[in-house]
Amino acid sequence: MRLFIETIGFGIFSGSLISLGAVGFTVQFAISNVLNVAYGAFITLGAYFGYWLVNDAHLNFWLTVPIVAIAIGALSVAFNRLLPRPLLRRGASFVAILIGTVWAGITLQYTIVSIVGPSTFTYALGNGKTIDLWDFVLTNTQLIIIGGTALLMLGYHGLLTRTQLGQAMRATSVNPVVARSCGIRIDRITDVAWLISGMLCGATGVVLAGTVSTFDSTLGTTFLVYMIAAAVLGGIGQPYGAMIGGLVVGLTTQLTAAYLSPAYEDVAAFVILVVMLLAWPRGLFGSAAAAGRRLVG
Amino acid sequence: MVYIGTDLIAAWGLNLEFGVTGIPNLAFIVFVACGAYTYAVLTVGPAAQFGGAETYIIGGHVPAFFAIVIAVIVSGLLGVLIGLTGLRRLRLDYQALTLLIISFVASGIVGADSNIFNGLDGMSLIPDPLQFVSSQSGRAWLYVGVVAAMCVFSVLLVRRFTGGPMGRALRAVRDDEEAAIAIGKSILGLRLLVQGIGAALAGLSGVLLVGFIGGWSPSAWQYVETLALLTALIVGGRGSNLGALIGTVLLLGAFLQGVQYLPTIGRPDLIFDLGWVVVGGLTIAFLFLRPQGILPERRPRYASGPQLDEPAAATTEPAAGSAGDDDRRARRQAALSAVVAAEARRDPAESYEDVLVVEGIARSFGGVHAVADATFTVPRGAIVGLIGPNGAGKSTALGIISGFITPESGRVTFAGRDVTGVPANRRARQGLVRTFQLTHEFSRLTLLENLLVAARRHRGETVLGALAGRRYWHAEERVNLERAHQLLELFSVSHQANKLAGTLSGGQKRMLELMRALMLDPKLLLLDEPMAGLSHAVSELVEQACLSLRDAGVAVLLVEHELAAVERLCSNVVVMAQGTVLIEGEMAALRRSKEVQEAYFVG
Repeated sequence: MRLFIETIGFGIFSGSLISLGAVGFTVQFAISNVLNVAYGAFITLGAYFGYWLVNDAHLNFWLTVPIVAIAIGALSVAFNRLLPRPLLRRGASFVAILIGTVWAGITLQYTIVSIVGPSTFTYALGNGKTIDLWDFVLTNTQLIIIGGTALLMLGYHGLLTRTQLGQAMRATSVNPVVARSCGIRIDRITDVAWLISGMLCGATGVVLAGTVSTFDSTLGTTFLVYMIAAAVLGGIGQPYGAMIGGLVVGLTTQLTAAYLSPAYEDVAAFVILVVMLLAWPRGLFGSAAAAGRRLVG
Repeated sequence: MVYIGTDLIAAWGLNLEFGVTGIPNLAFIVFVACGAYTYAVLTVGPAAQFGGAETYIIGGHVPAFFAIVIAVIVSGLLGVLIGLTGLRRLRLDYQALTLLIISFVASGIVGADSNIFNGLDGMSLIPDPLQFVSSQSGRAWLYVGVVAAMCVFSVLLVRRFTGGPMGRALRAVRDDEEAAIAIGKSILGLRLLVQGIGAALAGLSGVLLVGFIGGWSPSAWQYVETLALLTALIVGGRGSNLGALIGTVLLLGAFLQGVQYLPTIGRPDLIFDLGWVVVGGLTIAFLFLRPQGILPERRPRYASGPQLDEPAAATTEPAAGSAGDDDRRARRQAALSAVVAAEARRDPAESYEDVLVVEGIARSFGGVHAVADATFTVPRGAIVGLIGPNGAGKSTALGIISGFITPESGRVTFAGRDVTGVPANRRARQGLVRTFQLTHEFSRLTLLENLLVAARRHRGETVLGALAGRRYWHAEERVNLERAHQLLELFSVSHQANKLAGTLSGGQKRMLELMRALMLDPKLLLLDEPMAGLSHAVSELVEQACLSLRDAGVAVLLVEHELAAVERLCSNVVVMAQGTVLIEGEMAALRRSKEVQEAYFVG
């Protein structure tokens, strides 16, 4: 029982990190209909930037999180203006834009490697005191991260449901053409969406790098798999789906690691995912839009 | 050389799937891997051979030739299987994402399995299929020869499907699914066919690769490989086989392999890393500067068709009133009905009286009854109007009749047969043809091709027909071509025949919609507001077409808001309001009906 609860605790922790990234990823898809594979490279960038701030500029770890988030958020907006948006304007297809982001990601990743070199890095981040709540054994850091994620998610929920901006975002995600003709400034909405997703991306990058033992330039692209899995599992484009999907992916990976074998950590979760995707491809929160006939060509 | 060859085979396979048919198969590399693993598992010996260091459950020791054949077949079947899953109900961009995940996950799953595929370490000592050649260099050269031969074979095979009527049908599916269904194409069938062939080619590529390297592991088939192939297609020009060749050789051959031969600067690998940066930058620049690729897809141009007696009649606008004009109009109408009637007249008299019987159909969307218990009939060879205020359920009724919308209850009988459960594409092939209110054209086919692709039961659109090649379907193609040219002439758009449909004007697209429907030899044509937004001259063409159809014995169900036109054309008019049939009768009588006036102005 103790093992089970411990595992659940750790699963929630890793799940909340995945959720954080997955929501950012899914926002871009929902608002811009862009599958941004460069997202992984931006996570890596956030991780290295955070590393630099902590180790060379000697900032407090928790202070670096918002700094990196804002920096990556700004970069994300710039990136959207430089690549996906102009390509969309030229009538590029979904897959062409995907390919564009793939190469942007590769370019960014290898630029990072060229600068920092191929070796692995470690954050000097202490775990703090361990807290033992019933059988939930979690470190301070982990608790802060879980709590922070929950707050961010709540905030995002509030933004979507309580504000005019959130309403405009939802409208744009459902039908950008109609939204535009209702007087919504699509360009500004996409900027906001990419800012939010970039900030989530940066935060994920710093926190991820701070909690794994070592990392290198493949950090983000490896983690991208989990985030996309979570986003798809929850129903791509659905922010709440991505939150739940992240928790599901986190929990299943940790549970299989604990009960089957660490070697199967990803496999069991992935098998469930594949079976689910093939049988029920719209995902948990999948919208009717997913089944429509919007063309990709 | 072997690498480029195997990449080429895969690229052609993917081009058939993505470039031509529009299936965004981001899991393509999985099928390459499937071929490679199947071959490896079948050919390596039992575990003992390796001193127990590696464990394989299956030590097939199957002769290489059979292993190759089985591997290719297994990959092809896997392709068809994936195509059959719930994925096919997803929007294509969602499909792309899901397939990407499957690609991630597949290598993870295989990597964790140590019994059959030896996990992340992968399989090694996989026998070379050319073992019987003793000299090492001789074997290498022979291998290059074999791969080259397979390349030639693959491209010849792929061309049979990307060219001719089959390629046209596949591109139609790519450009507009709904319209493809409306002209009777089986989307699922064509997609599965393409996925099967594409995956089989991927399998072949995998077998050849693994036979050459002698080892295979999950790191060799990451999702990035699919993306690299896709990049090659986009750079080369998707949809074009030659473009795929150029893209593959340029990108995968020259760039990625070439980087290895550069001198080292700084730390080892730095030049390699910088190489990726450069390739990435170049590819992105390419997407901006030449998005259509180096060698974009080219559509065949046809010489102009046979001239009719009086081409001037088709190109000049009829000035109302003059006697010569009426004469010209009548002649054109006769010519049109002759073209249309080619098939209809051959139809022996069947026992039904009404070509369409609609009984009590109903359908609601989210609690709103769009159509509730509507019943009406369309007699053979009559033009029946379907009118009613906006939201009366006319378009939904049309959707139910044509099979695009499933009714909750009720029955649709077409030409004496109950077609309620028959899929839309089969109804179209039986002669129950619809047009769309918002035009649906195959934008990357030419206007002429848009017509040709609609021809029914083309011999070249079957698997065997496509394989048999041009000689098999050439004669039929010529007949269709002539007919298409006649239609273009009669609708005065001959001069646009070789223009891509996506570049036509709104009015021309409407004409295309109508002409394409006529190519299907309909028994009943469902026209959804064919005159909306058309100029007077062009709507008159549409009216003439309706009359020609009637003369040729083809029935028309006309949904239209232009009541004057409805009055001129229709013998009988059905008025719908709030999902039900309000009243039926002649237009002149209906105009006086109080109910109708109320429905229009109040309801």
